This record gives sequence, structure tokens and C-alpha cells, in this order.
Amino acid sequence: MQAMKRHRLFTGTVTIAAVSAFVLAGCAGPTAGSGTSPGAVPTEGGKISVWFPGTDPTEIALVTKKIVPNFEKATGAQVSVTYVDWSNISTKLNAAFAAGTAPDVFGHGPAAVADFVTNKRVEPLTNYIQQLSEKDRSDMSSALQGGQVNGVQYLVPLSMQGSLIMYNAADFTAAGLDPNKPPTTWEGVRAAAKQLTKRDASGAITRSGLLLPSQPIGRQQTFAALLLSNGGTQLNKEQTAAAFDSQQGVAALDYFTSLFNGPDAVSAGLGANYINTPTAQQPIVLGTASMEFQTPNGMQQIVAANPKMDLRVMMPPKFEGADKGYAMGGAGPGLMINADSKHKALAWKFIQYMIAPDTSVEYTQGIGAVPPRSSAAETSYVKNSPILKAFVKAAPQFVPNPNVPGWVQIRDTMDKFLEQALNKKMSSKDALTQAAAAVDKILKANG
Amino acid sequence: MSVVVRPSPKGARGPASVGGAPPRRISNPRRRWTNASRSGLLFVLPAALYVLVFQLAPVLYGLILSFTKYSPLSRSGPTPIGVENYARLLTDADFGNSLLVTGRYVAQVLPITVAAALGLALLVNRPFRGVGFFRSALYVPHIVSLTAVSMVWLWIYSQNGLINEILGILGLPRQSWLLDQDTALNAASVMRIWMALGSNMVLLLAGLQSIPKELYEAGRVDGAGAWGLFRYVTLPGLRPMLVYVVAMDIIFLAQGFAEIYVLTQGGPLGSTTTVNYLIYTQAFQYNQLGYASAMAFVLFAFIAGFSLLSIRGLMGRQK
Amino acid sequence: MRRNRWGAGLILGLTTVIVLVPFLWMISIAFTPEKEAFGSISLIPSHPTLGNFTTALVNANLIRALLNSAIVAVVAVSANCLIAVMAGYAFVMLPFPGRTPLFYLLVSTTAIPGSVTLIPLFLIARGIPLVGGNDIVGQGGSGLLDTLAGVVLPYLVMPMNIFLARQFFSTAPIELSEAARIDGAGEWRIFSRIYLPLARPLVAVVAIFSFTAVWSDFLWPLVVTSSARMQTVQLALARFLSAGNVQYGPLMAGAVLVTLPVLVIFLFNQRSFISGLSEGSLKG
Repeated sequence: MQAMKRHRLFTGTVTIAAVSAFVLAGCAGPTAGSGTSPGAVPTEGGKISVWFPGTDPTEIALVTKKIVPNFEKATGAQVSVTYVDWSNISTKLNAAFAAGTAPDVFGHGPAAVADFVTNKRVEPLTNYIQQLSEKDRSDMSSALQGGQVNGVQYLVPLSMQGSLIMYNAADFTAAGLDPNKPPTTWEGVRAAAKQLTKRDASGAITRSGLLLPSQPIGRQQTFAALLLSNGGTQLNKEQTAAAFDSQQGVAALDYFTSLFNGPDAVSAGLGANYINTPTAQQPIVLGTASMEFQTPNGMQQIVAANPKMDLRVMMPPKFEGADKGYAMGGAGPGLMINADSKHKALAWKFIQYMIAPDTSVEYTQGIGAVPPRSSAAETSYVKNSPILKAFVKAAPQFVPNPNVPGWVQIRDTMDKFLEQALNKKMSSKDALTQAAAAVDKILKANG
Repeated sequence: MSVVVRPSPKGARGPASVGGAPPRRISNPRRRWTNASRSGLLFVLPAALYVLVFQLAPVLYGLILSFTKYSPLSRSGPTPIGVENYARLLTDADFGNSLLVTGRYVAQVLPITVAAALGLALLVNRPFRGVGFFRSALYVPHIVSLTAVSMVWLWIYSQNGLINEILGILGLPRQSWLLDQDTALNAASVMRIWMALGSNMVLLLAGLQSIPKELYEAGRVDGAGAWGLFRYVTLPGLRPMLVYVVAMDIIFLAQGFAEIYVLTQGGPLGSTTTVNYLIYTQAFQYNQLGYASAMAFVLFAFIAGFSLLSIRGLMGRQK
Repeated sequence: MRRNRWGAGLILGLTTVIVLVPFLWMISIAFTPEKEAFGSISLIPSHPTLGNFTTALVNANLIRALLNSAIVAVVAVSANCLIAVMAGYAFVMLPFPGRTPLFYLLVSTTAIPGSVTLIPLFLIARGIPLVGGNDIVGQGGSGLLDTLAGVVLPYLVMPMNIFLARQFFSTAPIELSEAARIDGAGEWRIFSRIYLPLARPLVAVVAIFSFTAVWSDFLWPLVVTSSARMQTVQLALARFLSAGNVQYGPLMAGAVLVTLPVLVIFLFNQRSFISGLSEGSLKG
């Protein structure tokens, strides 16, 4: 007890000394040096730091145990990798940029790129891309497009993303529908959904004919997919004003709202985030939905856990009268180079290594994503998976969200008004008109 | 703060017991710097210096930021814009709504957590076989990993989750707890009560343990019943700890964020968007740290006001 | 009287069961194969497995994280139990001019949301002089970033613990100090030999709260550390939280493993609640 007390006293003294030292030093910390001393890594050659968004265990194992050691062996460089979970990557990056300690290479989703660009935090990569072979560039062209802001490349996507409708073939057959001829229009999807929907005695839906994401963020993506498939766009061509408050937009939102409301509703659980629920709780697995939007990764997990179910993927439907069906997707998360990095050449080498054909397939297979190269269609990973085949086939129909500064805020603003319409608190027209006004204001403030 | 004469331990039934403010020793009112007060300053100094540098400095920096436009990503640093952020708050309907949500949240969680925690603390205050088990079990929610347990809560509230399955067995209709704007905030409140119960109980238990046992004996000699002992011995003795629990609960509940973040992300229809949730969004999703800071200081004003009021209120009843 | 006791036992038992429900399901899922997680409301897994625990320990490097968190927690607990308790004691027992405004100033810092103070605190951690390659004015290096000292930095003195200590000592008997002073004891001696031993319930609570705060924090360690060597337990658990691909089994297994040490410490610490001031005051 005596010794312990003395120990405590000691700890106290040390702390007091440390604190006083800090105070004596004039509190230089909080005010000094935002952005003046870039690069967390000391300047000894050949050392870069990389922050990956997401914490997929397969990805971590692959990158830290294989890709990075191989890269280090090939180049003699040193790479320190940090994984940051998606929900906090922005927070960690913001703090690091404010303190000038951001890594040489970091990853994020395309939605965040424009804000980094506006603040001149990321290196333009167009010149680096130009040095790739013609074959390489065309192989990756659709992925690379998603990483551009105003025509300049900033992000190199590591995978492709998107959502397609997955359907239960057995439900189709039981309802008198042909699972080999799924609907090709949204009107057709609606009609099929009506036949697939089941209700209990009280009229409550026990099996949704169709489930589209209606949770925060998800509903903006659903709306955007419907809007595009109806021939509309989210922003005008110059990306300076909202364009979703068009006739096509109103019709798309009316369609979305009608799925959940009224006596002809075909979807239950407005606002529920079924996409991220455990596999065993997925509506299509529980039999509480016959068609649902899913990601490639989600579909692969569902199929792996339920090999006996006949689950198939539908190509993006269009609205009658529109040219083509679209789905939200395109370039997925990718890597950027810190504009203040002292090792840009090495940083680019690392990115190049990550997108090399073999690494890229291994990487996307590890995380269950769609490879960013169209040549990947010939690999066994894609060929052996009907799901990936469908996603690769639908790739030309995937459209990303616009890369404009303030996009996250724009998305959330749209989301808020869409929610009002989906809950019948506002008409589709009012919701979109008000959302457009608010979005224009944000675009102006950021541009 | 009023000057309260310090009672002797045996005088807890007397007229002037301790409230939120510490009693001031009145031994030497004229000579302000006695040896004891000099030692007092020395005792406080390490903590004060530390808090000044590592807690107060960041807060002051935030206060400065609230008068600026600042994105942490920008190279130019904060741009002063005067009171613009505060003026903008006045017309920000979302902020107004979030203040109301936060107020309702505190108002419905606070009384239940404190009352339930007090009840449980009284129950586990007596020594009996296995009391340690109960104390630990009730404290589990406070120590269990929030990220992990929030998955369980999401499932409990989900369409095919525990509550709905039980309702189904009982033949009652299922509910979309987190998707209905009438139930979402209540659902989050239940999770918060669950989280806060254990720590409040531990505090009140420590408070109960610090009440001298001879006061109860004296009370019994005076013929007081169970209620009388609770009213005239337990409550007055527990008052300082109760003041602490209520003040701290107000401070932390008004900053409610984690349970909202994991359960509802502020929805549906903004019905669970607390001020702190809005601050987080502004600061780290929209990179508007200046505006977020202004929100934080308005929230701070409300918190300070309400916690001081509650401290006064709990003291006042004594007089 | 007896019926009363039964009623009390029933209420206590029932509340405990309800409070434990989420934790029980965590344990259950920790033993459930991944693809069956949350598949039924049964508490007993139909195909129990230990695989999740292996995955948690191996993939997340949980042992290292436990060690890191333990180091950080011990430092935070010792600092709070001494510095914060000492300060709270002085605010009551050794009054000095200006103590009330100072007290409110210190405590008011807890009422500002962390989103606002996170970046300034990060700048401070980077700018600590003479560590991590920094010069005397805190420039040139990375300060306490990516160190365990950086992780513990915001927790050394938690203002709420000062508040708690002040409230606690406000019911402590003063006669003891008066008597000791007459005997010629110094203030440090009076505090450390007389009041600190009496304040065991307080020290127990401060220790538990400091421990819990450090142990369960996620955002600060995430922001301040970068390398795998500095991971704390909550960061290690986040490995299984990959968006859209949460590994429920290993996550729950890891969370149970991470909760156990705290539970053990709590159980151990509880003896302090049994005795303390109430006994001591008898002597007074």
C-alpha cells in the first residue's frame, strides 16, 4: 500500500512536469502549422503511408500479407498501411489534413473526391494515366471516368459498384411468371411485383413483391436509378444546377412512392435498411420479398449461404418510352495521392501495382466486388459466377453520382425531401421543387 | 452560489445539508490565503493545468471557430465571418427541430434513468449472497462494446427481431420500431436508458455507502419507519451524489449521439436528429466545422442553463 | 417484511434479466456460425462453434490490442484516481479564493460535443514539444500521434471525476482533518493518510469510470493512431465491421472477449463499495 501510494505520487509528479513543460513551451500546438509541414513520413527515400477505407478482413489479409510485401520486394520501398472503417474515414482524414499529417496515398469513395479537389488536397493524375498503355486505359475506361472531376483524373477506382435486382425464381414460377423472361421495364416489374406480393388477413404485406432501398442514402440512389431509367438526370449538363425536378423526376418519384403506399402497394418496410442486415435476415432469404435490389457482394453472400435457392439477377429495367435502363453504380472506392506527398512517384507506382490485372482480380475477388477492368470478364472469377457475369454485362448501364463539391450535403438534402414524398408528407412535385432549390443553393455556395 | 454552513455528520437531519455547491469552510473568513487554502490551490493545480491545456484549449479553439467559416480540408485555415453562423442558426429549421428533439429526449430519459437507478441501487445496497453478480450484471451495458451491441439492438427492433417475434407469439401486431416517427425516438431512449442505468446505479450505490450507518440507527431509535428513514436519512445523505448524477446525465444526454447514429441516423423524418447528430454531420460529412461549432455553443448554453437550474432545484428543496 | 424482501428480489431479478438480454444474444451469436447469425430468436445456437473466437483472436490481433488498451487504461486510472480525486478534495476541504468559478470552468468542458474539439485536440497531440521528433515549440515531427501516450492524452484527468470527487467529499467528516491539523500533520499527509483511505467507494467509481471510458473509446484512438501496433481493443473489433459485410460471429466473439476483463475488474473492485466512508466516520 505504501509503495503504491509512492508510485501514485510519482505518476502525479511526472504528469505535472509534462503538463508544465507543455505550458512553458507556449502552447504552440493548437495554432501553428495547419498545412505547412506536409507528409507524415520523414523524408528518407522510399517510404509511403497508405490509408485504405473499409475493414474487409479478406482485403486486409490480401493487401498486408501479399500485395504490399510483393510491392516492397519489387521496388525496395516501404509501405505502411492503415485501415479505417468507412464511417470514420472522413473524420480521420479531416483531422490529418488539418494537422498536415495526411498519408501519401488514401482511399475514399467517388462522392468525396470533389471536395478534396476544391481544396487542392489531391494530385491530378491525368498525366500519370497518360503514361499507361493504350490497352490498359481502354480496359479501365469506364472505371476511370468515375474518378474524374471536370475531366481531370483524381481517383483511381479499385472496383466497380452497383445494385441490380435479384429475384427468386421459385416465387416467379409459383405466381405464374416465367423466371427465364424477367420484366425489362419498370412497369413490367411493377406488374410482376403485384402478382408476387402476399398479404395476411388484415391486408398487411407479408411478402413484398419488390424491395428497393428506401433508407437514408439508399433512397437517393433508388430515386436516381429510376430517374435515369426514365431519361432524366440529377444535375444539368454543366453540373451547376439541379435537374431532377423534371417531369421524368416527378414520374420516377411517383413510381417509387406508389410501391410503398396505397392499396396496390408491393413493398413493406419503408425506410428499413435491409441491404445491410445479416444474410440470414435478408428479406429474400426469409421469404418476405421476391425481388430486391442488392450489391454484388450482398448477392454472393446470400447465394453462398443458401445454395438451394434459385436466385437470379435482372438487367436494369427502363421506363416505357425511355431509351435505356440504368442503375446507380460505376466506379467504386479508389485511391488518391496527397498533393503534398513527397513521394508521388512511389505513390503512383503503388496505385499502378494495385490496378495491375492480376492484383486487381485478386483484390476484387477477395472483397466480392466487380473488377474495374473489362478484360476481367474473361477471368475464372467472373466466368464462374452468374452474379458477377450479370454485373459485368450490366456495366455499361451503371451511372455514378455527379462528382461535384458539396455532393455529400446535396445527397443528404435530396434524401430529406425524398423521404417527405415517400411518407406522403409532400407531393412528389413539391418535394423535388423544394429539393432543387436547396440543392442549387449548396451548389452555388460550393462553386 | 450560496454559502452553506457545513453540517456535522450527525446533523444530516438538520436544516442545512449539502447541496450542489460544496460547503465553504467558515473557520477563517477574513484571512483568505491561509496555509490550507494555499495547499488547496496546489492540490488543484495539476488537474487545472491539465484541463486548461487539453480540454479547455480545444473548447476555446472551437469557440473561435464558431465565428469563422472553416473546412478542415482547406489550406487557408479559418476565415472570420463574425456572427454569421449564429445568425444562420436562427433561421435553420433543422437546428430548431433538433433542439426540440434533444429536449424531448433528455426530458423522457432523465427521470426514468435516475429513478430506476436509485431503485436498483437501494436493492443492491444491502449485503446478500450474490449481490456482486447483480451489481456486475447491471453494469454490463456500460462496458460492452457499443459497436457490437448496437447490432443486437438493431436486430431486436427489426421487423423479424426479438420484440416483434414476441409480439407475434402473443398475437399482437408487429411494429416498425425504428421506422415510425412516433416510436423511433422512444426506441432510442430505451437503448440509452439501458446504457446509462448501470453507471448511475454505481454512482448512487457509492453515495448510499457513504451515508453513516449510525444515522439510520439514530433514526430507528427516534421511531422512524422505512419511509421516514428514506425521507430523512437516505435522501439528504444522497443529495450530493444525486445532484452529480442529474447534472451529469443532463450534460451527457443532451449530447446524445451514439445510440442515434447506430439505430436511426437521425430519421425517420428527422424525428431522432439530436443537436449532436447534426453537429457531427456538419463537422465531418459537410466539412463545415465553423457552423458545427456555433451549434455546439448554442447547445452548450442550453446544457449549462439546465444543469445549473437542476442543481439549484435539487438544493432548493432542502431549504 | 418477508413479502417485501421477495418482492424486491423479484424486481431485481427481472430487471437484471431484461438488462442482460442484448448481452446474452451477443454471447449466443459469438457461438453461432456466421451464415446463421440472427437467423432465429433462439438463444441456443443449433450448430455451436468456437470458430468465431479463433477468428477474432487471430484476424484482429486481439491480444496486442488488449495489451495496448490495458496499458492505456492503467495510466488513465492512476492519473484520475490521484489528480482528479485530489482536486475534487481540495475544492471542498481546502477552499481557496476563486475556487467556484475555476471549478465550473473545468467542469463546463464536458458540455461541448467531441465533434468540435476533436481536431483542436489532434493538433495539440501533434504539437507536443520534444516528443516524436518535435522541437521545443512542437514543430517538425509528429508529436504524440500514433503513440499510446497520444491515445491516453485526453483521459488523464476527466473533469467529471473532479466533480464526482467534490460531491463525494462534501459529505466527508471534517473533524478528522481538524484533529490531524492540531497534531501537526501536513495537508498532503491528511489527504493521503486519512481521507484517501476513507474514500474507497469514490476511488473505486473513479477507477471504474476512467477504465471504462478509455476501454470503450473508439473515435479518438482511431484518429490518433495509424499503425497496427498501436491498435486498441475497439479498433481491433472494427475489423469485423466492414460496411455491407459485417462479420457478426467474430465481432460478437471479440466483443465478449473484450468485455470480460472489465467485468472481472469490476467484480474485483466491488469490495470497495462494501466498506468505506460509512465505517470510517464511526471512528471520527
